[in-house]
Amino acid sequence: MAERDTMVSIQNLHKVFGRDIYVLRGIELEVKTGEVVVILGPSGSGKSTLLRCINFLEEPTAGTICVDDLTVRAGEKGRERNRRILEIRKKTGMCFQSFNLFPHMTALENIIEGPVTVLGQKPQEAIPYAEELLGWVGLSDKRDEYPARLSGGQQQRVAIARSLAMRPKVMLFDEPTSALDPELVGEVVDVMERLAREGMTIIAVTHEMHFARDVAQRVLIMDNGGWVEEGPPEEIFTNPQHERSRRFLAHIL
Amino acid sequence: MNDPSELPVNEIPPEAQAVLNSIEDTQTRFKRNLAFSLAGLVVFLFFVLYIIGLDFRFMARWLGFIMGGMGYTLLVSVLAITLACILAVLGALGRLSRNPVINSLATAYVSLIRGTPLLVQVYMWYLALPQVGQALERMGIAGAQRWFTLPALVAGILALGVCYGAYMTEIVRAGMQSIGVGQREAAKSLGMNSSQMLRRIIFPQALRVIIPPVSNEFIAMVKDSSLVSLMGVWELSYRAIKIGRRYFQSLEMLVLVALIYWVMCIILQSVQERVEAHMARGDRRTH
Ligand SMILES: Nc1ncnc2c1ncn2[C@@H]1O[C@H](COP(=O)(O)OP(=O)(O)O)[C@@H](O)[C@H]1O
Ligand SMILES: [Mg+2]
Repeated sequence: MAERDTMVSIQNLHKVFGRDIYVLRGIELEVKTGEVVVILGPSGSGKSTLLRCINFLEEPTAGTICVDDLTVRAGEKGRERNRRILEIRKKTGMCFQSFNLFPHMTALENIIEGPVTVLGQKPQEAIPYAEELLGWVGLSDKRDEYPARLSGGQQQRVAIARSLAMRPKVMLFDEPTSALDPELVGEVVDVMERLAREGMTIIAVTHEMHFARDVAQRVLIMDNGGWVEEGPPEEIFTNPQHERSRRFLAHIL
Repeated sequence: MNDPSELPVNEIPPEAQAVLNSIEDTQTRFKRNLAFSLAGLVVFLFFVLYIIGLDFRFMARWLGFIMGGMGYTLLVSVLAITLACILAVLGALGRLSRNPVINSLATAYVSLIRGTPLLVQVYMWYLALPQVGQALERMGIAGAQRWFTLPALVAGILALGVCYGAYMTEIVRAGMQSIGVGQREAAKSLGMNSSQMLRRIIFPQALRVIIPPVSNEFIAMVKDSSLVSLMGVWELSYRAIKIGRRYFQSLEMLVLVALIYWVMCIILQSVQERVEAHMARGDRRTH
């Protein structure tokens, strides 16, 4: 199967909450297969909403979302559309700020949950890959622990493994380290970095400067529901063109 | 003053140890005194019953006969609880449904049943339903009257199950709503559809929250199963009342049957505690 050149494509995306909370204002975004993109921007600018529109955790008010070979337009209705949304979600891994592991399942059970329930695999079929993923995030010894007994960093790594078990084509990270104690941030960023090196397509909202500077190929700055500026990290960080980006970067650098 | 760095690591200083010991003493003393006073209470109760002149031999003679009603009590309770659980899950799904017809049906069910006395409902099933059958028969539906005339046991099970199902609907609904939005989003982002999400993520976690109040309902229902005696089913309380009246020894029979119900509920409660402990296995506390 030929890999597509563009993995995620968003056209003219608008999101209005209620009747008048106008959050996303005509967003355009193209992410190439294997590309790592970091989105920066002040709190409340609409970064999470954008990520959540990509896998339809939020319903876009207008616009078009394409992931791999699937296209869904805002305002479409019907069963066939819902099926396409489920397909997009299977191809899209999402990693939340608050981990959201299933507390009634062990680490391993969390990881095989997607393959078994959604893809219909037998547990015996799903377990070897789940164990491989546990090893890959460095948590083989936590296989049978419940989430409540894991540290935040460990929980987030299990959550990443849970997403990867679906063999997604693109990973969305929404501030995956901002709920973590500072000394635990590194282990999660390390996993994200290795994922990027292995060629995963990544769209990450993160204020981890190392990841944005050294791992990302492109940085986009959002303010007030639109792009202020985009470019390779070295340009954005050393020579921002716009006053708003300069002000924002001065805060976080 | 002690310099903290001079203290050997991991050794609790004597003044702290003394405090720990006294806390432990207080706790063991409380437990021991609690056991003493409970035992004292039981002895006192039996003493009172003895002074009143309770005929223990009479009680022993009829114990077997009364226990013979246990079968009916258990049958009614188990079947009614099963029915109530099914209705509660369906009711909760209905109450949370975005389909207006389903939602209003579930809401009306809960409102109607919770708003009327169980006693009236029992007679509805037993005495009023045949009249509905009669009317249907007259409208030309053959056999309707026979179908709508329920045996006492069936009427009792339906009345209890439908009634407790309504109360439990609200418990199940609240339990499902208590599961945070993050869990739903995690399930959705794996590609689960709504029924997979309910079955694998919401229900198992809601069960945890639901078990204590549902156990309460179970215990209440075992006792309310005595209402079927109104329709002449020979269950526990009906037998006790009959024998008590016949020999003018109602006190003995009522005390006896009360003790039997009490023991059944204590057993149920211990089952509840076990289930809760099992459910708590994902907690930080256990292990
Ligand atoms: N469900 C919602 N209902 C109403 N307003 C919302 C909702 N979700 C987000 N918002 C608003 O949208 C804006 C953007 O939020 P968000 O995308 O979370 O920003 P960011 O992730 O950049 O901090 C905020 O002003 C927030 O209050
Ligand atoms: Mg956010």
